[in-house]
Amino acid sequence: MATDLRISNISKIYPGCIANDNVSLQFKSGKIYALLGENGAGKSTLVKILSGVISPDNGEVYLNEKNLKLSSPLDAKKNKIGMVFQHFNLFETLSVFENLSIDATEDNKSLRVKINEILKKYNFSIDLDVPVLNLSAGQKQKVEIIRCLLRSPKVLIMDEPTSVLTEQETEELFISLKKFCDEGILIIYITHKLKEVLSLCDEVAVMRKGKVVSVSQTQNERVETLANKMVGQKLAKIKKKINISTNKDEIFKVKHLNFYSDDPFETNLVNLNFSVKKGECLGIAGISGNGQNELFQILSGEIITPDTSIIFRNKEIAKLNPKQRREYLMAFSPEDRISQAAVPELKIYENVALNNFKSSNFFEKGLVNEKKIKEHSKKILSDFSVNTDNVELKSQFLSGGNLQKLILGRELITAPELLICYNPTWGLDVGAINYIHETLIKINDQEKSTILISTDTEELLKLSDRIAVIYKGKLSKIMPSEEVTPEKLGVLMGGGSID
Amino acid sequence: MIKIEKRNDVPMVLYFFTPFIAIILTILGGGIIFYILGFNPIEALKFYFITPISNLYGLSELLLKATPLCLIAIGLSFCFKSNNWNIGAEGQLTFGAIVGGGVALLFYNQEGFYILPLVILAGAVGGMIFALIPAILKTYFNTNEILVSLMLVYVSKLLLDYLVVGPWSNPEGFNFPETRQFSDSSRMPLLFDGLRIHAGIFLALAAVMLSWFILYKTYLGFQIKVSGLSLKTAKYAGFKGKTMILVVFMISGACAGLAGVGEITGPIGQLHRMISPDYGFTAIIVAFLGRLNPFGIIFASLVVALTYLGAETAQIFLQIPKYTGQVFQGMILFFLLASDYLLFFKVKILSLKKNELRH
Repeated sequence: MATDLRISNISKIYPGCIANDNVSLQFKSGKIYALLGENGAGKSTLVKILSGVISPDNGEVYLNEKNLKLSSPLDAKKNKIGMVFQHFNLFETLSVFENLSIDATEDNKSLRVKINEILKKYNFSIDLDVPVLNLSAGQKQKVEIIRCLLRSPKVLIMDEPTSVLTEQETEELFISLKKFCDEGILIIYITHKLKEVLSLCDEVAVMRKGKVVSVSQTQNERVETLANKMVGQKLAKIKKKINISTNKDEIFKVKHLNFYSDDPFETNLVNLNFSVKKGECLGIAGISGNGQNELFQILSGEIITPDTSIIFRNKEIAKLNPKQRREYLMAFSPEDRISQAAVPELKIYENVALNNFKSSNFFEKGLVNEKKIKEHSKKILSDFSVNTDNVELKSQFLSGGNLQKLILGRELITAPELLICYNPTWGLDVGAINYIHETLIKINDQEKSTILISTDTEELLKLSDRIAVIYKGKLSKIMPSEEVTPEKLGVLMGGGSID
Repeated sequence: MIKIEKRNDVPMVLYFFTPFIAIILTILGGGIIFYILGFNPIEALKFYFITPISNLYGLSELLLKATPLCLIAIGLSFCFKSNNWNIGAEGQLTFGAIVGGGVALLFYNQEGFYILPLVILAGAVGGMIFALIPAILKTYFNTNEILVSLMLVYVSKLLLDYLVVGPWSNPEGFNFPETRQFSDSSRMPLLFDGLRIHAGIFLALAAVMLSWFILYKTYLGFQIKVSGLSLKTAKYAGFKGKTMILVVFMISGACAGLAGVGEITGPIGQLHRMISPDYGFTAIIVAFLGRLNPFGIIFASLVVALTYLGAETAQIFLQIPKYTGQVFQGMILFFLLASDYLLFFKVKILSLKKNELRH
């Protein structure tokens, strides 16, 4: 029997963010559908609504033209919607069988028979009586899939299923999913990995900032067209400033940057090597979630990695914390300006005091020198045209653009030799973006260097002298930006190769 | 349908006003409970909140009980402000009392002006060391400080039990679970004849002033504030996170240890099993009721001390168990949390829409 799932005008608003904005989509069995989008695009919210974990503020879900009321995960199960989450919901110390029997309706004997049928049919090899903690991530995922199959689902939703799988396990998963699809199960596959979409799915819906921006057949798409849709700009060639840095000294040099995390939701970085010349802007492009967060934190000193060498102005700084690195005239502007670069509950002058360097004398002999901090803050507010002169104002009352100006001002007023910024214009209006771009260009004009980690290709092409792309924690070769075309960047950002 | 939204702009005036609302609601709630129990609520509340402090002795008792609560809560405010959840102050108090009491017992038959300062110092150091255990485990082994500090409370209480029935029990004490009486040189000087209020109150006041200075005027205070609001920002600014955890736990433990030593050298005068009616736990309520603000904590410690006194008076005059004191303390916390929730979030009741009626 054919299945037809229809989502109609779903909206979900969280304080300060619209997670789903009037989302309408239609799915039919016999196809594998991809739901594609960057982190925070609203995919997970939509999926949680479909599986009854959260209820939408507005909108309806229809399964075979029946209006579903999904107010709990149980409702989703009853309506034969199965869901495999990115984070597994298994009891690690219980055996596979015990895990599966928890919400089963059958008695243990017939349940075992049923499970064994499924194992045989799909060629899964899992020992039912070992504790779940002994299983690999791929096997755990199979247990979750079996749990869904036991209820003979009409719809199976997979949320970022390959983020914790090996290549081999990924292939096995794809084979199983295609089989399920042939058997008439409607499959919705959530991911931000473009290649997977192209190799597995028939149709792809791209989400951005809570909205569905495109629905298309995957055969008409390529990695770069999807990448463009995901990041949101038509990658246009923009005239960038003249490349001034030739034969300049390298002031910043990173060697053997490796980062390994036990957390499967962090990206490992593999042997990154690069250097920045005096007065140069090095751009690092990539779709978010490919290791930019980790890279920024290592460059700023929030994460210290062993065996990495970072030379800055001929000094080894790899073991220094952010405060010590600032003393050597580095400055940092993180992506998250609201909860990392500044604290909304603090007053403007208190936020300025976060960049406390020796010559600032903000804190003398352990005591707060409020007068000094306030004077300094006033200067930042006027030099960087923040639209207030009240240093006692809590920074939560600043608009995003003004807050970013304040942060950049705070970081730049020390006249740093190197500024590292990550998505500096994220979420800002055009006026603020222009101001910040001009500021960044001015830094380079003054023979100071910048590293610009950004997901905005337009921005990168406009500001960088050389560009590299980060993909799955690996850095592409670094290219002079006049040789870079948006198409090349698109291919590299999607994991392709251009040689 | 009910919808809950975060309020963007909460006026500071209201933030400091809600504790008073919580106290008023607690008194109303208490009245209702008394009514259900069959008492005249007005009269019962009078016994609870007015009678205990209607004479000089009562006022002295109020300050006596407020002193340890204030000291501990001041210490805890350092931890809580920096996002460290030390809930084992009762254990740090007990261990401080053990160490301080041990020193006092060494000098049980001696007199000298130097003895009391030594005993007090030993108590503070004892509390500090005991608080360092959860702090070190948290910083170097990633344990959860809530669990560790809580469980250590029972360790220190059992240790005290063992000492007072075993090696430290009074040889002339007919096997009662208590130590010798401390010598007069190990006792806190009394402030007035015939009243139990002692010099320990000055320790509490000094702690208030000092903590205000540290929290609002020093780099350490700034780091504590930032870490409490956003650990991510603290990391980004390059604060030494581990050192700060150790420091705030040490301050907190020292304050609890001082409170413990204040009790045994003040009203008690020896070590026995019941040196604290859970001051260390109640001080958590005091710290929050006082908004983690040093001067707010003075006020809150007086209010909560009154619930201890009221419970005792109510037991005598109304024959209800003194554990009603804990009911009142619980209600204060409950109403405080509830009014905070309403302060920071608004609850909207939306009318049902047509499509929802269809279901």
